[in-house]
Amino acid sequence: MQAHSVYKIPQGKLLKISLEYDEKNNVIMTIRIAGDFFAYPEEAIEAMEKKIRGTVLEQKHLLEKIQAIISEDHIQFIGVDAEGLTQGILMCKP
Amino acid sequence: MKEQWRLLKTGFNTAFSNMAIDRAILVANSKGKVPPTLRFYGWVPRAISIGYFQSLTDEVDILTCERLGVDCVRRITGGGAVFHDKEVTYSIIIPENHPAIPKNILKSYGRICNALIQGLTHLGISSTYAPINDLLVNGKKISGNAQTRKERTVLQHGTILMDVDVDTMFSLLKVPNEKIKDKLIKDVKQRVTSIQHVLGKKIGFEEVEDALKIGFEDEFDIELIKGSLTKEEETLARQFEKACFSTTQWNQRR
Repeated sequence: MQAHSVYKIPQGKLLKISLEYDEKNNVIMTIRIAGDFFAYPEEAIEAMEKKIRGTVLEQKHLLEKIQAIISEDHIQFIGVDAEGLTQGILMCKP
Repeated sequence: MKEQWRLLKTGFNTAFSNMAIDRAILVANSKGKVPPTLRFYGWVPRAISIGYFQSLTDEVDILTCERLGVDCVRRITGGGAVFHDKEVTYSIIIPENHPAIPKNILKSYGRICNALIQGLTHLGISSTYAPINDLLVNGKKISGNAQTRKERTVLQHGTILMDVDVDTMFSLLKVPNEKIKDKLIKDVKQRVTSIQHVLGKKIGFEEVEDALKIGFEDEFDIELIKGSLTKEEETLARQFEKACFSTTQWNQRR
């Protein structure tokens, strides 16, 4: 199933998530993380989009996965954070 | 003697060329071939730049842009969509480990924005830095800025609005909710200002350049020496323009 969300991070930027997920297993198939935020290095966001594939669409799993990627790839976010990303992704679910 | 940085006044260029030149300077600086550089430029034709993470088709009404002759380009920096019309754009390119640049990214935005603030005072405009990346005059936005760090080099570019046309801007940009578009336009008109609006008169492009130059010299305690792009930078810029910034593949990659 295709889904989208637009989420204004509190004190931050506007996050726009596009998601394709497997409804039966509640698993992310593809994701695009867009918006007017800042991330360093920028290219890490594309790697993150790949690494998130296969993650269960559930708060705890998703937050842990995103935090792990941020730490592995030494990503610095400005205007968005792991919690905000998680929230934006979960908002794609009806 | 004060440290000397290079000042480039590259005038008006296309969006694709402008983004390619910034990138070329970054590469040259990262190889130690050119000193820290402050560049001023403008956009002809008028253009929209979008942030690295934005989707072009989500943000921009491409057909209206084509109809009005407005170019669209993806930046290598994050941040939001900008309509580049009546403004002075600057870029600063400097090694990440230069003592003038705070290691902390947000602090470095603040430091560079301070140079702009000092520059604006030379035009009689009092502004404040509003994190993450804006400058405000009387609570209204007059400048937006975006920074990337690549190859141990900082590139920050941004705009100082000389005049603003919110109606045209919103004919080119898509809004998340069409139903509230009129209200949004009204809000943005309340929240954005320009040099012309603040001073009640027009100021020339060069006068703004000169004021900002002094602002950077004062903030960083340096001397800006007018120079030009090296042959290598020009070649690199042409390559980046052709292979990247003018391509659909780059501009529509998200």
